[in-house]
Amino acid sequence: MDFDLGDEAEQLRTRLRQLVREHFSETFLGAFTDDPADLAQTQAFCARLAEENLLCLSWPRRYGGRDGSVWEQTVVREEMWAAHEPRGPQYMGVNWVGPAIMRHGTAEQRARHLPPIAAGSVIWCQGFSEPEAGSDLGSLRTTAVGDGGTWRVNGQKVWTSYALMAQWCVLAACTDPEARLSERLTLFLMPMERPGIEVRPIPAMLGPHHLNEVFLDDVQLTDDDVLGPVGGGWGIMRDALAYERVGIARYARCEAILDKLREELGDRFSELPEAIRVRWVRAKVELRATRLLAYAAIAYQSEGIDPAAASVARIATTTADQTVAELVFDVLGAQCLDSGADAPIHGAAEDHWRYAQAATIASGTIEVQRMLVARQILGGR
Amino acid sequence: MDNRLPADAVAFAAAAAGRFEKLGGVNLARQAERDRGARHAAANALTELGIGDLDVRADEEHLLAGAALCRAAGAVVLPWPVVSDLLAMDEHRIALIDEHAVRVDHGDLPLSWVVADLDGQTWSYEPAGAAPTGRLGPFVTQGSLGPTSVELSTDDVARYLVLGAWQLLGGVETAFADVCLHLRQRIQFGRPLAEFQAVRFTVADTQVRVRALEELAKYTSWRLVDAATSPAERTADALALRLHAVEAARAVLRTCHQLYGAVGFCDETDASVIDRHLQPVLRFPVSPEVLAQRLVPAIGSGDLRGLGR
Repeated sequence: MDFDLGDEAEQLRTRLRQLVREHFSETFLGAFTDDPADLAQTQAFCARLAEENLLCLSWPRRYGGRDGSVWEQTVVREEMWAAHEPRGPQYMGVNWVGPAIMRHGTAEQRARHLPPIAAGSVIWCQGFSEPEAGSDLGSLRTTAVGDGGTWRVNGQKVWTSYALMAQWCVLAACTDPEARLSERLTLFLMPMERPGIEVRPIPAMLGPHHLNEVFLDDVQLTDDDVLGPVGGGWGIMRDALAYERVGIARYARCEAILDKLREELGDRFSELPEAIRVRWVRAKVELRATRLLAYAAIAYQSEGIDPAAASVARIATTTADQTVAELVFDVLGAQCLDSGADAPIHGAAEDHWRYAQAATIASGTIEVQRMLVARQILGGR
Repeated sequence: MDNRLPADAVAFAAAAAGRFEKLGGVNLARQAERDRGARHAAANALTELGIGDLDVRADEEHLLAGAALCRAAGAVVLPWPVVSDLLAMDEHRIALIDEHAVRVDHGDLPLSWVVADLDGQTWSYEPAGAAPTGRLGPFVTQGSLGPTSVELSTDDVARYLVLGAWQLLGGVETAFADVCLHLRQRIQFGRPLAEFQAVRFTVADTQVRVRALEELAKYTSWRLVDAATSPAERTADALALRLHAVEAARAVLRTCHQLYGAVGFCDETDASVIDRHLQPVLRFPVSPEVLAQRLVPAIGSGDLRGLGR
């Protein structure tokens, strides 16, 4: 038994922290703020990561990665999330669009799309959710109708992160409404400048760029834009979601925020009500347990052991995120709503609380995770 | 990174579970309530399993074997002070106490006792008077303290807290597995309870608690023998595990009672016996609030470590 992630992973952690320090001030809170300079900074940072093959660390070397181990990938997830995800919108392309194209794309698609993702020079969005299809993706209504090598797409997507800034979208559309679910959907690699696409931002507490609506009005695509086989979209989506099973390392940002807050409080920590300090202790212990659950889910995923372990980790991680968000607000008292660089911990508390509200919904609701765990223990659906 | 228990520890756990099952499993605990002498069957089984050769202070292999034994003992609430045996010094059994309300589980056994508080201050212990407990913690005794020359290290305090957490893990694993079986078999409103979503969500959340406790117990045990860990870190780790274990176990056992319905409070159900007999581990030496208060200085001192080396 050994819980050390290994020398290579820890050296990588040190290197990533160094790179973050070099590129970002302490006031940086991610790409999606009201200041456009933050997005530009993340793009420059991604190019820097790409120079060291760190942006797509888990990818094979021939595609611009460096065959990173599962623990190196874990360290990247942790360190990037702890630093407010300085890869910005690159997260999606790197983590699942690229790997999906590697597995299911044609040689032409791989040659066209993988180099810019590995270089951090392109932004992708994901067109899955619809107003009538959230957790139940099988019921999505956007249609793509084929006609001799071309496809006409009509419908609406929603909650589409980064859609305003993205150059490309992985679009899920129904190509055979009569077919069973496993053959009903097809994925398309859709250029966002194609006529007929309209993006409308959705104002939300999360901040700019997180949520958009995408309207598709007779958008014309071709057979060359299809990812994988026609009717094979559901399988690729499930495959893609496998990359996301454990999800983002929310516990790492929670730890970073608590550490920063403790440092900023200094001697004032002892003036906090005892009840709050005790809650802080419990939060630290919960975060440790959460991290260990994430490690347990990751450790043997290649062996296919315990498929519900990822859902267990995700339930723990997302709820811990919200617990810590509330704790940090209560520590700050009336200052908790302050935002901006002059706020406590440079506004990270306010930013984190807003974002944590989505934790138990984004990328698969906590209810779906509970269903998966219960199915393993109790059987049934 | 390898979070799997070593094969030796797994094999030892299986041997212990098999031996305890031969004694009747949880039934031995029921029997011991009627006949306290029945506890010696547990002691004999532990001797056969080689508890006398286990030195949990020696190395990782011995500590994890001890942890496996505690987990197996907790799974059947073996009526014997296993943790006290594993940490015995020169025939003195060790127990952690609150000096303001001295209680020792199985303190009436004809053994020599040295008790200590969380700071490691030690006393000799003599049981006195009738047992103040009844259904909850049926083998708890009160007693009097006296001077002793035996010293207890902070690492031994940490080991005591950690091994007790393994006991709790074993107990809640049994209770949870049993109630899940009940949920699949019990028909209400024309279908198994396991088909109701409210029940399924509760089971999922309970699984998160049990698995978190297992991972934290493994990690903390590994840290106890990791040369890179300081004594202050080992103490903080052990307090953190015990805090988490007690709160997780209370929540899991409460859920088991609820999911069983009325039968969950009946002693024909193992969960009821497990909950009653685990009470001393859940309550002693101090409440989770006190454990958490002791960890407050570790916030910011670095003793409760986060990510990375």
